[in-house]
Amino acid sequence: MRYPSTVLDIGQTVPAIPGLDLGSDAALIVFFETDCPTCRLAVPYLNKLARGARVIGISQDDQAATNQFTQQLATAFPVQRDSGLALSRRFDLTFVPSLFLIDHNGRVLRSHFGFDKAVLNEIATQMRCPPVAEDFDGAPQSKPGCMSRHLEPKVEGEFGPAPPVSFSRGVPASVIEVPDGEDLFEYCFQAFGDALPVIPPTPERIASMLSGAAVNPSEVIARVPPCYGEATVEKIAANAVMAGCLPNMMRVLLPLVRAVCDERLNIHGVQATTHFAAPLVIINGPIRNELGFAYRQNTFSNVARANSTLGRALQLILLNIGGARPDAIDMSTLGNPGKFCYCIAEHEEANPWEPFHVERGFQRQQSALTLFAAEAPHGVSEHTARTPEQVLKSISYALATVWTYRACLGSEAVVVLSPEHARTIDRAGWTKLRAREFLFENTGVPVRAYDNAPDAEGSQLVSKYQEILIDGERCYQKFRSPDSIRIVVAGGTAGKFSAVIGSWAAGPRGSEMVTYPI
Amino acid sequence: MPTQLINPMNEAPLRVSMPPARLRSLQGKTVGLLDISKTGGNLFLDRLEQLLRERFHVANVVRTAKPTFAKPAPPGIIEQLRTVDAVVEALAD
Repeated sequence: MRYPSTVLDIGQTVPAIPGLDLGSDAALIVFFETDCPTCRLAVPYLNKLARGARVIGISQDDQAATNQFTQQLATAFPVQRDSGLALSRRFDLTFVPSLFLIDHNGRVLRSHFGFDKAVLNEIATQMRCPPVAEDFDGAPQSKPGCMSRHLEPKVEGEFGPAPPVSFSRGVPASVIEVPDGEDLFEYCFQAFGDALPVIPPTPERIASMLSGAAVNPSEVIARVPPCYGEATVEKIAANAVMAGCLPNMMRVLLPLVRAVCDERLNIHGVQATTHFAAPLVIINGPIRNELGFAYRQNTFSNVARANSTLGRALQLILLNIGGARPDAIDMSTLGNPGKFCYCIAEHEEANPWEPFHVERGFQRQQSALTLFAAEAPHGVSEHTARTPEQVLKSISYALATVWTYRACLGSEAVVVLSPEHARTIDRAGWTKLRAREFLFENTGVPVRAYDNAPDAEGSQLVSKYQEILIDGERCYQKFRSPDSIRIVVAGGTAGKFSAVIGSWAAGPRGSEMVTYPI
Repeated sequence: MPTQLINPMNEAPLRVSMPPARLRSLQGKTVGLLDISKTGGNLFLDRLEQLLRERFHVANVVRTAKPTFAKPAPPGIIEQLRTVDAVVEALAD
């Protein structure tokens, strides 16, 4: 798809660029502004392209800003200034970044504005280079650009300084000096974090935290939505200190920050929605015991430093770097206690089947973390049933209420099965898949529940629902497939209590579960 | 001696953009109506389009919709709306 970024059509010859010999190869001409976040986002990918193809950068800004830009982002292609924006006017750009792929005669082969990974990869193919952009690398799939400098309204003093954002190397955190006599904890309480006290992020504590990560402190792990703040290793460490993490938790935090910014999870939406959703972290593999994650009793609550501090560190990062303040951008109507901390581990030792991360494609010995945009847990007590069918029936009744009773197909659920319930199901020879299929086939909403409720949520979509018989009654099937129901085994070995956790809007149009290796 | 702390917050300044000048009149203008795809958004925008045409005599109405309310608008939608004089977004259900 070609957007109207320029009046130059495919096949037209580009205006002469002073001092540039087009040579005998195709070239990609890129117009950019030094303070345009989208332009900055594109540079590392253009750097990759420049390894095998000719890329020419044209800056719309002055020499000082251009120099700072090229140094900060380590541009690997030649950059020249568009003095007086004469070229921009001649090319008649509307937006930056604007990309023009030209042949050896200077004819336009294609043009594009803004950042788009698919387009960059197509251009790479046209220039006989390998792909330059991976789908889930922490950067968005696409991002609109900014207005070309020559079209900007002329208002003095209204634009802030260029944001110091880059891709691989970030800007060191500033140092704050708290005057003598000021209560340090009270200062931090007011200035940073959630509504609970935090440990002051002193340089010594951060140096100690950084000892747990064999990565350069200025490395940018991801940009955190919705404000796309730069999560450098140093900033992550500062928030880990505040949350009370031990340095070894950096092993988990770095992949966790990458995972939470994976576009499939859509943390942008999760953080801004009016719904209850909060990212639930599920830890699997040997790291559970190495770092002391609780997976027995009280796995959801206040039993272990590892769960509590990792969960809180993630939330502090989302608040402080991502910018979803609960009094501003985070518009959740009722919120979720999981926004302080929401982290469990699987009780693999009490799981009669393969661990959850193995089901997600990892080796048993590979530690992994999973993120799910989750509501609060809904408890299911079933102490008297003695067969898989009866235990799972009880759980299916809770599953039917996920999102809201009459709404089908739009959500998913995690079932946290207690070890005792898992044993009852396994003892009868059932696999985990069979249990999931049973839940799928037995979770539905009776058709009679829609009588006299044409305006109720879910009622408008019944034409899309699948009608099935459950115990002889006509019902609409609650979920899309057995894959919509995930089973994790966790909790203490005493007590026949399981939990159902509903999702936010599920699937590619909402949020998808992601699993990352640790 | 003052205590030093490492700033844990996002320090990138947010880009400030000027809102465009307010329109003095809608007559003869083109108005974009963006449906974010929440239930009922189309009902609201249908009525608004009718009012804009009948009472405010706009020249044209450009209707567009996000594929999902859960994610930012794709660039194509934003481009489509760059051509209009004003935009109304049906934000919630």
